[in-house]
Amino acid sequence: MSSTQQALAFGRAIPATRLTRQKWRGGLQGSEFAWAMAFVVPYVAIFLAFVIYPIGYGLWLGSEPALYSELFSDPIYLSTVTNTLLYVGIGVNLKMFLAFLLSGFFMRKRWWVKTVLVIYILPWAIPSLPAFTSIHWMLNGNWGFLNSALYELFNIDGPIWLNDRGLGMTSNIAAYIWKNMPFWTVIFLAGRMAIPQELYEAAEVDGASGLRRFYHVTLPLMANLYLVSTLLSTIWSLGEFNAVFFVTGGGPAMSTEVLATLGIRHAFTMGEPRLGVATVMSALPVLIPIVIILMRRLRKAEVQL
Amino acid sequence: MKYVSRRSVICASAGLAATSALSRPYIANAQAKTITFWVGQGFVKQEDAALKKTIDDYEKASGNKIDYSIIPFGPLNQKIVSALTSGDVPDLFFQDAPTTILPQAAWGDKLVDMTDVVKTQESKLSDTAKLSASFQNSKTKQRTYYLAPIKQAATPFHIWGDLVEKAGFKMADAPDTWDAFWDFFKPMQKVLREKGMRKLFAQGVSLTTVGPNDGNNLFYHFVIANGGQGVVTPDGKLHADDPKVREAFIRSVDYLTTSYKQGYVPADVLSWSDSDNNNGFHQKLFIMDFDGTISTELAMIDNKKAYYEESVTWGLPNGNDGKPMPGQTGAGGGYIPKGAKNIEVAKDFMKFFMQPQMMNENLKGGLGRWFPAIPALIEEDPFWLDPSDPHRAPYIKIALGPMIPQFNAFNPAWGQVNAEQLWGRAEADVIKNGMTPEQAIDKAFKRAQVIFERFSFD
Repeated sequence: MSSTQQALAFGRAIPATRLTRQKWRGGLQGSEFAWAMAFVVPYVAIFLAFVIYPIGYGLWLGSEPALYSELFSDPIYLSTVTNTLLYVGIGVNLKMFLAFLLSGFFMRKRWWVKTVLVIYILPWAIPSLPAFTSIHWMLNGNWGFLNSALYELFNIDGPIWLNDRGLGMTSNIAAYIWKNMPFWTVIFLAGRMAIPQELYEAAEVDGASGLRRFYHVTLPLMANLYLVSTLLSTIWSLGEFNAVFFVTGGGPAMSTEVLATLGIRHAFTMGEPRLGVATVMSALPVLIPIVIILMRRLRKAEVQL
Repeated sequence: MKYVSRRSVICASAGLAATSALSRPYIANAQAKTITFWVGQGFVKQEDAALKKTIDDYEKASGNKIDYSIIPFGPLNQKIVSALTSGDVPDLFFQDAPTTILPQAAWGDKLVDMTDVVKTQESKLSDTAKLSASFQNSKTKQRTYYLAPIKQAATPFHIWGDLVEKAGFKMADAPDTWDAFWDFFKPMQKVLREKGMRKLFAQGVSLTTVGPNDGNNLFYHFVIANGGQGVVTPDGKLHADDPKVREAFIRSVDYLTTSYKQGYVPADVLSWSDSDNNNGFHQKLFIMDFDGTISTELAMIDNKKAYYEESVTWGLPNGNDGKPMPGQTGAGGGYIPKGAKNIEVAKDFMKFFMQPQMMNENLKGGLGRWFPAIPALIEEDPFWLDPSDPHRAPYIKIALGPMIPQFNAFNPAWGQVNAEQLWGRAEADVIKNGMTPEQAIDKAFKRAQVIFERFSFD
């Protein structure tokens, strides 16, 4: 036993319960602890009420194994899963890539670029229902704006856009990208604006210009933001139903349904909310790994130039 | 004496408060005179005004208060399903066409028995209203009234009479059997296109899987016209293996898909929403369609020329066997979820609403889009068959003819059949996937049988 330990051993022994309590209080004592609790309790209560409870309730609603056997026996389910993967996979990646490119365009310091940016953001600002319903009507194969314009301008009859799975899915994805791309463009624009100008100047001194500056400065500094944004957007888009619901409505013959719209159909048209929850919950095997990857990426703060 | 500490006083007080709160009888709710009421928004503003008047009249007569929320069709469905699932329910729901939720909720024993309310007017109600208000309960294994029926609707033809005449035809010459009546409009398409209406179609039929109701409603009337109304019987059984039923379904798919393939139907119909047929009709993009209620016409009531001179509402012709074919109808009204706090007041309001005079005044206020669940009112009040309105009388006359309830009144499984859009998918299988009508119907019936197995009455 060291001399220090011996000296301490002579001191009055602190009861174990008191030690535990002190540890639990994080070293705070008396009014400090009371104040800390006063600040923390409302947040904990809100977290329990609006995060833990809804998630727990959802998990409970979709917890019956019979729901999943019913779901998997639905002949429409498999094509719905495929559609969801296509919708999210193509939609999110194309949207993020285009948003990234456009954010570079909007970095230009011309006055008219700022005006274009304001107009460009409008689709994101418009409520989903009128925006997507307008697209649904625009794509009407017989009397919609698009085909009428094709006929008036080029004297050709356009396709029946919403009458085919491929065209229907393309229309849904295009509508989804059109609506959401402005938001991510602004995010990337903010990311680009945060890059110190000195880095570009230094790169220029080193002889880097154009693509090289983009490759060696912009890309590494934006990579984390791009990846995190893409993961986040994937998580959101797995539950996104507005574009599909209002543009094709899952038609023709339910061939463009995604999990979110099928879940809504099960829950509210069929009146079986548990089956609706199970439908959406069946995306969890894809969703959870994405969330884990996202969390791991968020821990990384360093950028390699 | 034992020492009383500050901590023990606080503990005792908290315990006492908790005990009293938990053990106290819920007198306040038992005595309450206010009910919460969720009701569907009307298609025309007059319907909402008529409902508010009914509520005002009840409040004056009873002294009770009704805290009502008027909610559009889609969101109301969602709120009701959510409420029934969570148990946080209002005292009363009121829907125009609760065709899926109501039978499902009754089956799941989530609703209050409304027999005592319905009994007050039972002898006066139409048979279809009574059948559409009572549903099987899987727990009690009995069929009971769960809806206080107020209103019913029929499905008429909506026709642009001016286009018929422009094509050189007269509605007076329209055949009186189902398929022939539909065929009557086909030659007009060619004539009108030659007159410059490049994108005009003869028939605006909803062969869709998108909208929740219109495609199914259209298809079932074809089935009825072909003699297949026995597909579900009041005992809740599906008769998919009945050759007469199967033949009726096949003929229906065959007619509709052939018409589509021949180009008499807009190609977009496979993805039409419930509003697309109304929009298309209003823009004169097709000559006729077949859709529930006279909302199509009432939506253009301010356009006097279109409403009074150009558009025509037409009743049902005979079935393909030459005999009068029944129209299909449901019932709208009020129902009470289990867990409602003021069941007595909610029932009292529905008893008030079901009184013939109240029912009649309310539905007249809504411009006659819905007709009363008490048929005698139609005959007694000249409003319903007033010839000065070109649409109401032909529409109401359907109600005076033979009527049958919607199939989901007999088994909630049919609600799921509707929601899965089996018949719209069968039509698409023929149009898009090269199946024969026989193959498409057999595939659809196979799925229907799987669904019905989950709702066995045995």
